[in-house]
Amino acid sequence: MAIKSTETQWGGMAKLLHWLMALAIIGNGIFGLIMVEMPRGMGKLNAFALHKSIGLTVLALLLLRISWRWFDRKPRDEPMPRWQSLAAHLTHGVLYLFMLALPLSGWIMNSLHGYPLQFFKLFNLPALAEKNEDLSELAETAHETLFWVLLLVVIAHAGAALVHHLFERDNTLLRMLPFARLRQRKSGDSP
Amino acid sequence: MKPVACLLSLLFLSSPLLAADYTMGKGSTLGFTGTFQGEAFKGRFGDFQAKISYDPADLASASFDVTVHLASANTGDTDRDESLPGSDFFNITKFPTAHFVTTRFREEGGKVIAEGTLDLKGVSKPVNLEVTFAPREGGATLDVSARLNRLDFGIGSGDFADTSTIGAEVTVNAHLELESKT
Ligand code: HEM
Ligand code: HEM
Repeated sequence: MAIKSTETQWGGMAKLLHWLMALAIIGNGIFGLIMVEMPRGMGKLNAFALHKSIGLTVLALLLLRISWRWFDRKPRDEPMPRWQSLAAHLTHGVLYLFMLALPLSGWIMNSLHGYPLQFFKLFNLPALAEKNEDLSELAETAHETLFWVLLLVVIAHAGAALVHHLFERDNTLLRMLPFARLRQRKSGDSP
Repeated sequence: MKPVACLLSLLFLSSPLLAADYTMGKGSTLGFTGTFQGEAFKGRFGDFQAKISYDPADLASASFDVTVHLASANTGDTDRDESLPGSDFFNITKFPTAHFVTTRFREEGGKVIAEGTLDLKGVSKPVNLEVTFAPREGGATLDVSARLNRLDFGIGSGDFADTSTIGAEVTVNAHLELESKT
């Protein structure tokens, strides 16, 4: 698997970043929902610290991903109706925005709470806003809501990929999966 | 003759030659600085009393005696302030106050060090203060600071003893506005 993408296939780097981040984002969100229910104590403090560190990792990976995407090429869309490819591109844009908004809203909320922000016990990051308890409640709601909305968009996104795979029987899903072999195109499909 | 001389000298030696006595005035503060997840946080004890006897020219007779009501600790974070009185931290139901009393004063490199004993959460340990004293009209200002290891006194026990999250070292500092006793 080449590291760079081709006309028909996502490269290793794009695949790695896509699946690593998908796992980290969904996992960190579920972890976030669980950790807020934990009883007060050191376990909870450590869980919060881990949640923030994973979230910051997502933010760092996003910057890497956007830079890579700039440098890399994007495979041509699989043959599909124009509205579908427009919807797909729109969804991808929205997903990129969420990948930025989620960790950023967490960071802002954390600053408004006046909590420290430490990356895996290695170094601290500055606050993005002055402490403000009232606004922190608002930011908390925003942070959680963003996750639920992201989940809906991801379900639509993954659902669409599955529909293409199962019913259109094209390579939309396969070309993003690691280790998958592409289906041979029926003759006449290729431009 | 002998007993009389003794009495006389005692009288003579007492009040006027003793170090100046002070009461604590408005604007006096007692604070501490700890670290949590790599970031410093400040706290204050709103309720404490200090009996100060101090004359820079007569350190041998100086003394500090401070009592701190631990329930008055405030660090500006609700979660943390609700945890401090509990048994893992100050355990105020069993040990409501901390007490510090000096045993000896000495000079070291132009600085005055007050040696004393801190009694906190059932543990008595020696603690040294660095003393800065400045006389002023009708009184003086006194600044002291000390560094201590919270684990010496069992502050943050069990899981909370983890110093990679809650730093071991705590700085305590007090600023006292002293009024002369007359
Ligand atoms: C991939 C990124 C992230 C996702 C998907 C995510 C998701 C979530 C979710 C679902 C919750 C539970 C909300 C609730 O039930 O109240 C939560 C809580 C929280 N998140 Fe995140 N988060 C991410 C990144 C971050 C970052 C980078 C920070 C801080 C720098 C952060 C700070 C927090 C905090 C402090 C809470 C607890 C809020 C409370 O006290 O209720 N999150 N997060
Ligand atoms: C778990 C289920 C998921 C599946 C089955 C899935 C599947 C796919 C597939 C097949 C593609 C390639 C589309 C194409 O070649 O045109 C893709 C692209 C993409 N996916 Fe996912 N994905 C999932 C989760 C996620 C998550 C959780 C995120 C982010 C929050 C995400 C963000 C994206 C983005 C932004 C693209 C577009 C990449 C680009 O054009 O640069 N995906 N996904």
